[in-house]
This record gives sequence, structure tokens and C-alpha cells, in this order.
Amino acid sequence: MDALHSFEVIRPRTVEEALAARQAHPESRMIGGGTDLLVNIRRQIETPPVLIDTNDLGDLKSIEAGENGLVIGASVRLYEVAEHPEIRCLYPAVAQAAGSIAGPTQRNMGTVGGNVCLDTRCIYYNQSEWWREANDHCLKTELGDMCHVAPKSKGVCFATYSGDLAPAMLLFDGAIDLLGPNGARTVSMRDFFIGHSRQDGSTGDGIDYMAMEPGEFVLRIRAAAPGNLVSGYDKIRIRRSIEYPVAGCAVAVARDGDRLTDLRVAITGTNPRPVFLEGAADLAGGALDDATVQGIDDLCKDQLMSMKTTFTPGHYRRRVATKMAIRLVRELFEAAA
Amino acid sequence: MNEQVRPVDTAAAEPVRSIGEYVPMVDGPEKVSGAARYTADFVEGKALEAAILRSPYAHAEVLEVDTSEAEAMPGVRAVVTGADCDKTFGVLPIARGEYPLARDRVRYKGEPVAAVAADDIHIAKAALKKIRLKVKELPAYYRCKDAYAEGAVDLHEHRPGNLERDVFFELGDVEDAFTGSDLVMERTFHAAEVCQAQMEMHSALVSYDPLRDRLTCQCSTQVPYYVHLMLSKVTGMDQGRIRVIKPHVGGGFGCRTETLQPELIAALLARKIGGAVRLLTTREETFITHRGRPETDLRLKIGMTKDGRITGVELENDQRGGAHSSYGIVTILYAGSLLYAIYDLQNVRYIGRRVLTNTPPCGAFRGHGTVNTRFVFESLLDEMAETLGLDPIAVRRRNYLEAPTFTQNDLMVNSYGLPECIDWVERASGWKEKRANGLPDPGPGKKKGIGFAASHYISGASKPVNWTGEPHATVNLKLDWDGAITVLTGAAEIGQGSSTLVAQITADVLGLPIDRIRVIASDSEVTPKDNGSYSSRVTFYVGNATLEAATNLRKILVEAAARKLEADPEDVEVLGEYYRAGSQDTGIPFQEVVMEALRDTGTITTKGIYNTIPESWGGKKYRGAAIGGTMGFSYAAQAVEVTVDETTGEVTVDDVWVAHDCGKALNRLTVEGQIEGSVWMGMGQALSEETGFYNGLNLANNLLDYRIPTIQDSPPIHTHIVESNDPHGPYGAKEAGEGSLSSFIPAVANAIHDATGIRFADTPITPDKVFLSLEKAARFGAGKRAA
Amino acid sequence: MAKRIVSFTLNGRAHDGVVPDNTLLLDYLREGLGLTGTKTGCDGGECGACTVLVDGRAQLSCLTLVGQVAGKAVETVESLSRNGRLSDVQEGFHMKLGAQCGACTPGFVMAAEALLRRNDRPDDDDIREALGSNICRCTGYIKILDAVHHAAARRRGEEPAPYPPLPDRAAGQAA
Repeated sequence: MDALHSFEVIRPRTVEEALAARQAHPESRMIGGGTDLLVNIRRQIETPPVLIDTNDLGDLKSIEAGENGLVIGASVRLYEVAEHPEIRCLYPAVAQAAGSIAGPTQRNMGTVGGNVCLDTRCIYYNQSEWWREANDHCLKTELGDMCHVAPKSKGVCFATYSGDLAPAMLLFDGAIDLLGPNGARTVSMRDFFIGHSRQDGSTGDGIDYMAMEPGEFVLRIRAAAPGNLVSGYDKIRIRRSIEYPVAGCAVAVARDGDRLTDLRVAITGTNPRPVFLEGAADLAGGALDDATVQGIDDLCKDQLMSMKTTFTPGHYRRRVATKMAIRLVRELFEAAA
Repeated sequence: MNEQVRPVDTAAAEPVRSIGEYVPMVDGPEKVSGAARYTADFVEGKALEAAILRSPYAHAEVLEVDTSEAEAMPGVRAVVTGADCDKTFGVLPIARGEYPLARDRVRYKGEPVAAVAADDIHIAKAALKKIRLKVKELPAYYRCKDAYAEGAVDLHEHRPGNLERDVFFELGDVEDAFTGSDLVMERTFHAAEVCQAQMEMHSALVSYDPLRDRLTCQCSTQVPYYVHLMLSKVTGMDQGRIRVIKPHVGGGFGCRTETLQPELIAALLARKIGGAVRLLTTREETFITHRGRPETDLRLKIGMTKDGRITGVELENDQRGGAHSSYGIVTILYAGSLLYAIYDLQNVRYIGRRVLTNTPPCGAFRGHGTVNTRFVFESLLDEMAETLGLDPIAVRRRNYLEAPTFTQNDLMVNSYGLPECIDWVERASGWKEKRANGLPDPGPGKKKGIGFAASHYISGASKPVNWTGEPHATVNLKLDWDGAITVLTGAAEIGQGSSTLVAQITADVLGLPIDRIRVIASDSEVTPKDNGSYSSRVTFYVGNATLEAATNLRKILVEAAARKLEADPEDVEVLGEYYRAGSQDTGIPFQEVVMEALRDTGTITTKGIYNTIPESWGGKKYRGAAIGGTMGFSYAAQAVEVTVDETTGEVTVDDVWVAHDCGKALNRLTVEGQIEGSVWMGMGQALSEETGFYNGLNLANNLLDYRIPTIQDSPPIHTHIVESNDPHGPYGAKEAGEGSLSSFIPAVANAIHDATGIRFADTPITPDKVFLSLEKAARFGAGKRAA
Repeated sequence: MAKRIVSFTLNGRAHDGVVPDNTLLLDYLREGLGLTGTKTGCDGGECGACTVLVDGRAQLSCLTLVGQVAGKAVETVESLSRNGRLSDVQEGFHMKLGAQCGACTPGFVMAAEALLRRNDRPDDDDIREALGSNICRCTGYIKILDAVHHAAARRRGEEPAPYPPLPDRAAGQAA
């Protein structure tokens, strides 16, 4: 039996109330399904004094999906996204990603906001307090100052981003609506996920992985019109359920005759951020041939940075993400014919 | 209800039989309704809550454990440390070196150092943080090689060089055999450490009554009797003042075949406060308590004639045993002795090292001692068959034993259903056709393959761990005026069905429906001693003892019926609810027979015992040769079909065909359940499960990273039961719950080779290993062994 | 820590729980109410042993705060058997040996119950999908599939599949 630390739970009914609670309690954490946060709390990875429960925020429970775009409230459950007919039809990568998260019971609980903001993960971090203490803690908690993944790293954390929804949303210029003390704003997901972990410290990393201002929280996520993009999501895990992805890839292609006219690839489970593969669109324009495939391979080599943050070796995660992405590009290109 | 005497047509009355049928478990309704109570479910009492402080150091001298601050906290009722108990425990009488709480030294990260009993769990856990531990760190060893390297610090003074046991034997002439072989192959293998990870986490509820000086312990164990012994040893209490009750237990698979710290620590706390203490461990602590299967490095060399006859075998293996003895000596001996008794081997050399390391202690895990040996043996047989151009199944057939026989190391084999198992698997899996014509095309980027392997296991160790001269098993039956029959057994029901087994046998002998039988199991105050549920001993030993007890009761009832019917006992027919003398007789109901039997004597108790025969005790040809001796071996064969995804390296198990010789299936439902569970557990070890240590800390101390297959990963399993009718088994029965595990691992490795051309010699065969080997093969050509 | 009243429906009856905010539903059911049918199998969200139904859907009670079920309907394994009879799902798990040690069983029973309320004619894939968050260490899941099919047949008012014929009798019939 675990002994949870003492905390208070506030259950706002409106986003205004939520904002007020957030301002009143700067150390608070938002809780939706609890499948990520409560595990961390049980392990005393974090001990927030106040939790703000988003489950009564009716405003954040709707899905608007159509030819012109997609808007999903932060409190929508993952199974609702996976089962939503319009999302399945127009944004299959998003529905498939949602339907592949953890296992069915976790998807009944977990929310869209929770999966997008999923805490980055590391085998030296997602452990009990006793374990971390016996291992001299690590950078990502306040108690440690060394990184067990890259001991020479000076203050940079490599904990891996493992959310499945974000890469799928990135295919469609995904963005996040935030509300904070300075009002509401919409941030592109490409700017929101800042875990580049550059050694010069010029960017975010596995600790500081979201461009979220103090007091802000997620209202909704949104995607642009799918246009003629054909999309899909694929992932590998050691087991087909419960686990986080070893690596996951979201791909969208557009095809005109024999020509690949657009190509978008986003990867999760490798870096401290979901990686929208920069330069993929430049590979489109001609046939889908060996040069395209080599191009994807090169981009992955350049941009994927999987370290020893999971039980499964980093080298494999990078390679398998690449190969899965290439396979999915081919399959979708076929399907788009 | 309206009592009516119904006229009964005794001519149509029949004894009820259930042996050999599908029989749901007698304690099933409690389990499915949530009424079954496991140790953690006893929540209504006034027990204090306890928590354990565990060492953050892998190897250190303990200089001081300062508990003063913790003891001063409000709500803390007692704190115990190594200073509270200077007695050691352990399962093997020759290797009891473990303290319930570390004293002079800690030897692995997670070893219990102190424990707190408090008013609630919050206080108990907060108090742990107030305990100050002062140590002097020592060099720590996480790999065998480092632990037995020269100059390494000994973990235990009495085990120089950190060798728990060094085993060497050679029977026959191995060099000569290799010289005379057409093919000799030698390979190295590695098997990762795996853990039982039974669903119920370790827990104990212990109360001490200072007025009467009595201790009562309920805990999650497979061996209440061993717990009883160790409670007495560490508390210093007289055995007769201790009561051990085993409530429902949520699985074991071997990790509970010895006394573990939770029950001992709870007892020390209960004694100190003079009250009740409940100690529930977390999943992480259950992993740390461990007692799993050791990481093993193996080197195997086999000689073979060109027609597939095995000429000689040499096996060398290092087992990383962890910081304490546990079953280590037995495990390393089994790994050698059980090379035998499946095939006819005449020249065998075995070198085994059980090494002490600064990791949690390994113990006995389902298929104890044989699993990694069988993995490498059946893998190499497959490779040698391929090299010689022989069918892998034909090679097995070339090496059959002829039962009854004694093996070269004196193991007794009376029944041998392996040929029938292999025949069925070959037929049912479509082996010949699939090997000849290949498997259906799984589509682009995928490859299919099929692999085969065989295995065996003992039906109980013929010599118990504690050799006392008592029978191996004792069962009592009680029959009183109410006509109710109660079986009193020490056999520990842990989900495998032992309570159902004793009910079934008793009912069968008396011809009564099973629901007439009540079972009281595993309460030392009431039930006879039993060694526990391990090494697949219960069906054979307790089954035979039950059979004898029930037969004795039947004899009493038949004699009573004969008196009443004024007939000769040999003329009395037992029809379950009626007894009669010949078919013309109208007969008398069971209750009347009971009342006649009770006349003058009162309550009837009968007893059945079981003893193994000396011929089964194993040999004396080398030190430890008794390990492996059993009354009967089970046999199993299986074919596994896989699809390998070349893009990801994922292996999907599409189908499994398994045949298991259990002598006689007393209950087909539970036998099938045991076989399916074994095969599937083999799959976990083969494909996904492993602990992994980083500076002595298990990276997979949870069920997310310790990857037990989910229902979505699990294949159909086609199960066939082979009944070889062992001459000594109850109704001919032998073991059913372990023997099918080990053949899965080589069968799937052989199937992956069939699919990819690559031999995998390192379990678990996870997608990353397959992927990297496929990439390497694509670059350097196929037919390579995986690194 | 301050306590609050949380009102919800528990196994069909109105219930007011008085708990501190940091109370997990699992601990409250087990330790607070003695409803120990709901089991603990891991340190949070990894095994499904604690599965209960919240408004008819399977949920992990080990990652649910009591306050989060305010106004909702919670069902535990204890609610299923009625009038001294096992429910169809419980009967299936008993008769087809979906339960060996039983420690994961209540979680499986509740996840299967949630499935059958949506779909009383599931095929193997539907069952595998619905029970994907639950770990069993004993059965290899084969007999759990049998158990759910048994229950589904009952729910449809059909006779569940009988046990396979015994070898001797099958031979006798063939002769």
C-alpha cells in the first residue's frame, strides 16, 4: 500500500474557475485521467500541494471534427478520440494514435490534454523514491544533479517524450490552445515542444519540454484541414498493450498520379520532444523512389536522438522508427492511389 | 424444506466419478466473486501497519542503524533492526546465512535493514525516513566474473571466492565420445534473469499474544511448514506455540517456496509490540525479494553421429545467484542432473558454478534448474540436425530412453510418454508438410517459421529439503454424525488446484459428488504437516496420501455396511449415496452406513501417508547426485509457429501445439490450465521478460518494464494430454504444471531461425535483438548467429 | 488533512464517503469499506487487478481519487452476484477456469463485464482488445477467452459451450 503525500484537490466547473485556482496555487498540477500524474505522485517523483481536476470542465469535453479542421477539448478521453467517426475518417493518424495508447482501460481514463503534456520518461526517473535515492537521484528531479543517461551532459536532460497524439497532430499543423494569467493564446505544436536538449542549453530539454508559461494550462488541441493528406500511425512496443511506445511514427502523404506531392513525418519515443521531421516535405515532388527513402533515412539519422532512456536500447529505437516510417510512407502512398 | 423419504431405485444408483473429467475448482466461486481472502484482505482487525527500510547500498559494512528519531515519532509503536534478531534463516539446512534484517553487512540494494510498525502506513513510511544508516561501502559485484575474480571481497566468509557451489561431474568418457562423433558442435548462450511476478504481492499478517505466548502468522506462501520452522528459528519460540495459516495465495511459481522476509519481520515486530502487525509489500519490494531464475551464461558441446545419435555432452554454466544462498545449491545441481532423463545420454561432463553477487537472491522458479539447460540443449540439437541434414524431430527419436530404466546418473524413469507427445505434436502442427513445403506467405516484409523442442520435469523431489524421517505427505479425513467428510491437508493451495485434487480423489474413492467433500487446508493448528507446493510434488505425493486416507475410510464404511446388511464386506457395493450387498439388495443410504460406522467408535478419522521409494532417491556417483531424484518424470513436446516482422524485429507467436505426458489427467480442466500457463510463461522468458541491473538496481522493478505478455500478445495454444499411466502415481498421475515451460523457449528460438536463418542464443529474444541481427545479416549475409 | 464528503453510487446504493483528498479509490474500497474483492497487483496502473466500473466503463481504481467519482456510479466485483447466484461472467470464469490463483480475477471479471454490456457477441479479437489492460500470470489467457465466451452465451440466453468430449467416451461414440 502506498502512502500518498497530502494534497488538496480543487474541482473547478468552468475554465475561469480553473484559471483562478491555477493563479491561486502556482505549484498546482492539472489532473485529468491521472494515469501519468498519479503514478508519478505515488512514486513521489512530484508532490504538488494542489491538484486541479479538469473532469468537470464541460467546455473542454467536446470534439469538433470536419473538413475544415479539428478541435479537441483537453478533457476528452482518449477512447472518444479513437472511436470518433469523423476523426477516423479525416484524421486517421490521430484516431489510430489515440487508439494505440497504453491499454483499453487507460484509454477510458486518460485525456487528450494529459497525453499531449505527458511527462517525459526515463528509466532512471520513472522509479520509486527509494530507487532514485539509491541511485543518487538525477537531474530531472530537484534532488539530483547528474544524468545517468549521459553522465558528461552538463545539466541537460534526455528524458524521452512518449505521447502518441502529438506526432499525429503535428502532421496537420497541430496547435495547442492555452489559457493563462495573460489570457488565451494558440501555440503551434512545433514551437510548443522545445525538448531539443542542445548541449549549449539554448533550448529546452527533457525537464523543460513544453513552452508553457507559469500558470498556463491546455484548453484544446487543434489541427488544420486535412486536405488531400492520407495519414496513418504506427508504433512498436515490446508488448501490444499497456506499455508506452518504444517508438511511434505518424505519416501523412499526398499523391497525384504517380507523384508524391506532400510528405510529413513525425516521430515519438526517441527524443525529448515529438520530432516533426524537418525537410520531409522537400523530398516530395517526384516519384516515391529509393532517393525518397534514402532521404527519409538521412533526415531520421540527423534528427532522431534516442539515448539509453528506456529499457530498450536507443540505437534500435532510432533505427526502427526510421524503418517503420518508411514502411508507412510506402503503405500510405499505395493507399492514396 | 419438506423432508421426504424418496423411494430410490438403487439398481440405477451409480457411484459418482470425476477422475479424468473437467472439474471446476472447489474454491472457484470465492475467487470469481471477490469473496476469497488473501493476506492483504484481512483489513478489519486492529493490526498495526508495517514498512521495511531497505538498503540503498549494494555492499557495505553496517556501522550503525540509528532508530531513535523514528521511535520518538507519535504513532510509531515499534522499530526493529538487525540488532533484534541474531538468528539466520534459509531454505536449505546447509545454507542458512540470511538474517531477517541485515546485521553486520548489507549485500544487495534493497536488503531489509530495519522495519517500523505504526498506527497507519503513512506514519510507518514517514518513520523509515528518520532512520539513519551509517555504513562503510565495500566493492560490489553484479556479474559472475567480477564476483569470482581473484581479489574480490567475499560476500560471505564461509563462501570463499564467492562460489556458493562449484559442481563438477563426468560420467562415461566424454573426450572419447567426442572423438568418435561425426559432428561436434559447441555454442555459448546467455539467459537473462527472470522473476516469477505472481499477481499477489508478498504480505504477512502476524499477531502475538503475550498472555499465552502464542504467535499466529498468515502469509502469502507456498510452504507454510517451512515458514513455521523459520518463525520458530528466528523468534526463538517453541514450534508448538506458533500457528501458521495460509489464506488464499495469489500464485507463487517458486518464489514462495521458502520463507521470505515479510513474514519474519512482521513476526519480530508483532513480538515486540505484543500485538498484530500487517506488512504489505509493494510490487517493487516483491521484485526486490526476488528468488527468480538466475542470469546464466552457458557453454554447451554435443557430439553426434551422422544419424543423430548423441554421443557425448559437455555443459558448463555460471549462474548469478545473488547475495544469499536460497535454493542456489539445488539449482546448480538440477541444471546438470536434469540433462538426463529425457534422452539416453551415456557420456556427460558438467561444470556448474553458482556465484554470489550483490544482487537480490535468486531462488526456485517454475521449471527449477532445467529451463536454461533445456533452452541451450534443444537449440543446439536443432542446429546439429540442420547441419547433418536431419529432421529435428527424427534426432529426438534417435535418442529415446526405454522405460522403465535408470539413467546413467541413477534417476528412475518408469513411465515415458515422450514418443507419444512428439508424435502428436508432429501430426497436429502439420510439421512434416510445413518443413517440406514451407509455411504460407505472410506478406511482404514478414517471414514465418516453425520450431520444435521437448522437455521434462520431476514430480516432486524424492528427498525433501528437510529430511526428518516423516512421510512425504500425510492427509487426514474426518467423518462425523452429520455425514460430512472433511479432508485435512497441509497441501498449500496457491491457485494450482490442490484443494480440488484432494476433494476429487476423496469423492471418487467414496463414489460421492465432490460437493459432499469439504477441504480444510494449510492451518498448522488443524491440518497435518505438509512440505508445501513446490517441485510439482503435490499431485503425486499428496494425491497418493489422499487416496490411501480415502481408501481407509471406504474400508470402514464397507465394513459397517456389511454389518448392517449382514453380508460379507467383499460383497458390499459402494454406490456413493447407497451401499448394498448385491444387485438384488435394496441397499441402505450413506447416512445409515455412517451411523453404523460411528457406533461404539464415535467420530472417524482416517489417515493416508505417502513415502517415496529408495530407488527414486537418485544416485551417489557425484556429490549432490540425489538432486534430480523423483518418483516420475513428466514429458512435453511442442511446436511453435511464428511470424517475424523484418521492419521492426517483432516476433509474433501465431500458434503453439503442445503435448504433455502427465501420466493421467485427474482433472482435465486444471491440467490444461497448468500446461497452457507453463507454455505461456515460457513465452514470457523467451520473448520479453528480464530484470536488468544498473549498479545493482533492477531497472524493471515494476510491471511496465518487466514485460509479462498481455492477452494481446498471447497466442492460441493447442493442448494435448498424454497419459502414460505411471505405476506409482495416484491413478497413474504425474506432474502437469512445470514440464511444458522449458521447451517453449528453444522451440520459439528454433522457429525464429526457421523464419530468418539466424540463431538466437540470448533470451529474451526482443525485437531490438532480432532487428539488429537482421540488419547485420542483410549486410554480411544470412546464416549467422546473433551476437 | 481535511476530509470531505464525496457522494456517489456504490454497487447500486447511494454512498457518502468521508475522505481526505489524497485517498485512492482502491484504498478506500479495500481499507475503508472492506470491499477487498478489488485487488492490488502493482504500484500504479500496470496490471488491471484493481479494475472497477465507473459509469459502466472499466477504470483503474489505483489511479482514481475518490473525489473523482463524485456523482458517478461505481461498481465492484462484489455487486455482480445476485440472489446467491454467480453472474454470467463469474460463472464463466469459474466453470472454464478463467481463474487459477484468483488475484487478477476480479479485475478481469469487471473488464469483461464492461465489454459484454457493449457487445454480447464478442469474438476473440474483441475480448483481447477489451482485456488488454489486465495481466494474468497463471492462465496464459486461453481459458479467460473461454470464460468470456461462456458468459457472452449466457447473456444472450444461449447455452455455453460444453467441455470437450473426454477421450475414452469420444472413442466410444465413434465406435
